[in-house]
Amino acid sequence: MNDMRPEQEELPTQRLVAVPAPQRRVDADELLSRVARGDERAFAELYDLLSPRVYGLIRRVLRNPAQSEEVAQEVMVEVWRNAGRFDGTRGSATAWVFTIAHRRAVDRVRAEQASNDRAHRVAASSVETPYDDVVETATARIEQQQVRRCLDGLTDLQREAITLAYYNGNSYREVADLLGAALPTIKTRMRDGLIRMRDCLGVAF
Amino acid sequence: MAETVDIHALAGAYALDAVDDLERAAFDRHLRDCEACAVEVAELRETASWLTHAVASPPPPRLRESVLAEIGRTAQERPRRSAPGAGRSRRSRLVRWTVTGVAAAVLAAGVGVGTWTVAQQGVREENARIDGVLAAPDARLVSSEMAGGRVTLIVSPSRNAAVAVLDGLADPGADKDYQLWMIDSAGPRPVGVIADGTGRQYIEGVAPIFAITREPSGGSEQPSADDVGQIRL
Repeated sequence: MNDMRPEQEELPTQRLVAVPAPQRRVDADELLSRVARGDERAFAELYDLLSPRVYGLIRRVLRNPAQSEEVAQEVMVEVWRNAGRFDGTRGSATAWVFTIAHRRAVDRVRAEQASNDRAHRVAASSVETPYDDVVETATARIEQQQVRRCLDGLTDLQREAITLAYYNGNSYREVADLLGAALPTIKTRMRDGLIRMRDCLGVAF
Repeated sequence: MAETVDIHALAGAYALDAVDDLERAAFDRHLRDCEACAVEVAELRETASWLTHAVASPPPPRLRESVLAEIGRTAQERPRRSAPGAGRSRRSRLVRWTVTGVAAAVLAAGVGVGTWTVAQQGVREENARIDGVLAAPDARLVSSEMAGGRVTLIVSPSRNAAVAVLDGLADPGADKDYQLWMIDSAGPRPVGVIADGTGRQYIEGVAPIFAITREPSGGSEQPSADDVGQIRL
């Protein structure tokens, strides 16, 4: 049988609706458990799998490429060192890695802030809406589209509160300042925004 | 502080690392006692980690070399042992990941590990109701030690509903169950029976006082004097 491939291969967004946890997550979990047993090859694979997102995230928060590289290295080495302490009942390996990465990046930003005084604050206030940037850099990858679609589903305040905190490393107090909103409002928007995203992404374990 | 600090409201900011060190410490403490919060935070972090998809950017190749070289000379930490008596947390036996996150912890407590994945219609409906309460923006968490275990209530005024989670209460005794009550000026209203010290119950209608008593198996119409504990809502 010579079946011609049907030409309607590209239904871009339609079919993304209910893509649950991508298979990749399982891979990362598996790799990490091998890393925990000292498997350096598994670590190299895990590095290849996650380093673009680790580095990209840190770079996004820190902006400075040299520093980002440094912090990314610290993070990946910490993943190696603490792999045995990862608790799979508490979430996925990827989330564990990005939690470490984000925390490190934010710590670095705060330390910088403390030394640079308020200079950063001024810069932060003129920052473009991170979301626009997100849209720009997003390629056609499924996860990216999903994230975008789910960010779209948030209210403006939810979206800005979450992206300022996550991508810029702003504290919720700074976010409240930047957006001219009350503290309790921002706290609430961060939480209910994430919950809405969680439901939208079908984050599942 | 002037604002009423509902620590639970910090879950989102905490998951985004948008809190200061003091708040982080306070929330960490809170997490040790609050199963549902720990699960929620983990789940929100999971969600946040998706945001990295939008900023992925390949690092310079030298980073790979240098990381691989460094791990080659870096010792790994030993896995944490849950040494007997060394403060092994109740958490480990309780928390399980599942489709609905917080609801999962609640369900895991109620039905036992594994069972809740059975996609029974009834369970799913209950699950959806529970998730509704947990996802409500005004969901509030109150928790209290009772009978050697912990009772946690997640209350949503806007939904006029709550979820009660019993965790590790002592066996109520032969032919006895734990019975849950909501009490207002009209008197006590039975809102559920839980056969042993661990379980969960969706409750429609919130009253100023939540109470638990020991009752003959199957429950009673009026609470006996065998009071286990109360939580003021």
